[in-house]
Amino acid sequence: MAHEDVREVIAAQFADAGVAGRMHAIDLASGREVGVGADAAVLMASVFKVPLVLALYRAADAGLVDPAEQITLTPGTRTAGPTGIGAMADPVTMSLRDLAHLAVSVSDNAAADALADRLGLDAVAAAVAAAGMAATRVVEVCRDVAARTVASLGTADPKQLARLLTDPVALSRLSTLDVAVSNRTTPRDCTVLLAGIWDDALASAGSCAAVRRLLSLQVWPHRLASGFPFDDVRVAGKTGTLPTVRNEIGVVEYPDGGRYAIAVFTRSASTALMLPRADAVIGTVARTAVEHLRRPRR
Amino acid sequence: MDLVQHLRYFVAVAEELHFGRAASRLHMSQPPLSQRIQRLERELGARLFDRSPREVTLTEAGRLLLPQARDVLARADAILDLASRIDSSEAAVLRAGLPPELEGTTVAALLGDFRARRPRTALDLRESATAGQQDDLARRRLDVGLLHLPFDPADLVIGPVVHRPLGVLVAAGGPLDLPDELLLSDLSGHDLVTFARTAAPARFDEILDTCARHGYHPPTVHQADGRSFTVGLVLAGTAVAFDPGTVPQQADVVWRPLAGQPLAERMAVVWPRERHHPEVGAFARTVVRVLGAAAAPPAGPVPHTRPASEFLATPYGAADGS
Repeated sequence: MAHEDVREVIAAQFADAGVAGRMHAIDLASGREVGVGADAAVLMASVFKVPLVLALYRAADAGLVDPAEQITLTPGTRTAGPTGIGAMADPVTMSLRDLAHLAVSVSDNAAADALADRLGLDAVAAAVAAAGMAATRVVEVCRDVAARTVASLGTADPKQLARLLTDPVALSRLSTLDVAVSNRTTPRDCTVLLAGIWDDALASAGSCAAVRRLLSLQVWPHRLASGFPFDDVRVAGKTGTLPTVRNEIGVVEYPDGGRYAIAVFTRSASTALMLPRADAVIGTVARTAVEHLRRPRR
Repeated sequence: MDLVQHLRYFVAVAEELHFGRAASRLHMSQPPLSQRIQRLERELGARLFDRSPREVTLTEAGRLLLPQARDVLARADAILDLASRIDSSEAAVLRAGLPPELEGTTVAALLGDFRARRPRTALDLRESATAGQQDDLARRRLDVGLLHLPFDPADLVIGPVVHRPLGVLVAAGGPLDLPDELLLSDLSGHDLVTFARTAAPARFDEILDTCARHGYHPPTVHQADGRSFTVGLVLAGTAVAFDPGTVPQQADVVWRPLAGQPLAERMAVVWPRERHHPEVGAFARTVVRVLGAAAAPPAGPVPHTRPASEFLATPYGAADGS
């Protein structure tokens, strides 16, 4: 399959799943790459938690924070969310590095915002800059997104919100889906970030290993990992989700040592919350790209 | 004080909940924006935002005023549009896209209604499917479109949405030619004729998912482009097709409504978010007058967010009021 062909195949896979998709994949050894809209601005959603935890470990390397420092999060003041501490009932005390674990493994919004509050968004911006993510801006945390959603839709009632979040007309004026004013990146910026983490370039070797471990503990199997259903292939990644938005960035490692950084960002035409095809196409295009990159060059 | 302009500032800050972001969206710097909001608050005698170093939130007064402010802005925009139309010679032609399935009588009614109300604007109608219309709107080869939902609304404004409940075309005298409404599960064992999935994968999947949810699993799905081919397969007696039932059928094919209206055609009038044609509103009203007579189907079930949705916690307890 020639280079142009694989891009056409990937574009057709996105279209067939009913999504507008952007992606970039790179072989970390050779630098060979595949991209479809690789430099387009896209909504990060929870993918912003990757530069966030990187900022924690960079701060630890610089001696600015102790990753074992304990933080207590109390209900009512911490950010709510559907997973982790964000969904719990009682006060929780844990270390900064365990907050990072929950922010990545189950996309815990409370844990992520607590980290961001402790570090400051300037530290995240510094990590983004150090990674060379020139088109990436992290300007808000999970609680800002939730508040802007409520303000944009004009209600905080959960039942009304659930309905509005699947209403195409309401979604068309939802400001949190406006890439110009939200946390944004490009697929290429994200593979650059992953490459820096896998090459120990963005923090100390121990810190980069810690971030890689967190990404390998991410629990959702329905997106990137669905494209690699093999016991001997390791997938480490971070998802990002908003209404109609399904993303995942990660690294796929083959037993022969092949390592591939992949970033896939999609927006679905359908506004249904459950769209297994839109989740799975992330794995499908990643697999297509990786198989292309693994084929010997002629 | 220019009230409309100040309301624009208010809505921007309310939607962003961040003065810096709102300022950049309004292409101004932050200090004058803060001053204008303070001035509006003085003028109204009510505080609109609670400001803390960490966050900006709407006050109760701000929350109550927001929908009214949006309403005023929409009306003000309509006046500005009208003024620019009176002033503009470009508005002489409105290029509008229509989906190919739309029946001839409806197209004629759209043209007639628009011509009667906007005699000075020529309506240039073009037949084009969803993907083609989206492309043409993005490239400014169309001013306004009528698109089947769902579609990717990036860079588009979604205007009014019209609903037409779908029924079923079945062979006259066949096992499904009953005098009453049909259930989707009644169609079991019959093949389905539909539009090609590649034309609109998301809409195709929604229709098939709804069929499966109501117990109809067509043994074969024929994907046909033309209406005569569709009717041919229905005539043969093994297949059925979904149809709004707006066109008189030939004698050997009959249209039957579906009980509870599980399927509907939803079409939205859409136009580009930036620099849109001043007559798009007039076209949208024409579409609603001609197509909007049918009632919207009853609201679907309230969706539940699952943990993998990640966004917007709607804690279980909150939804139950506990």
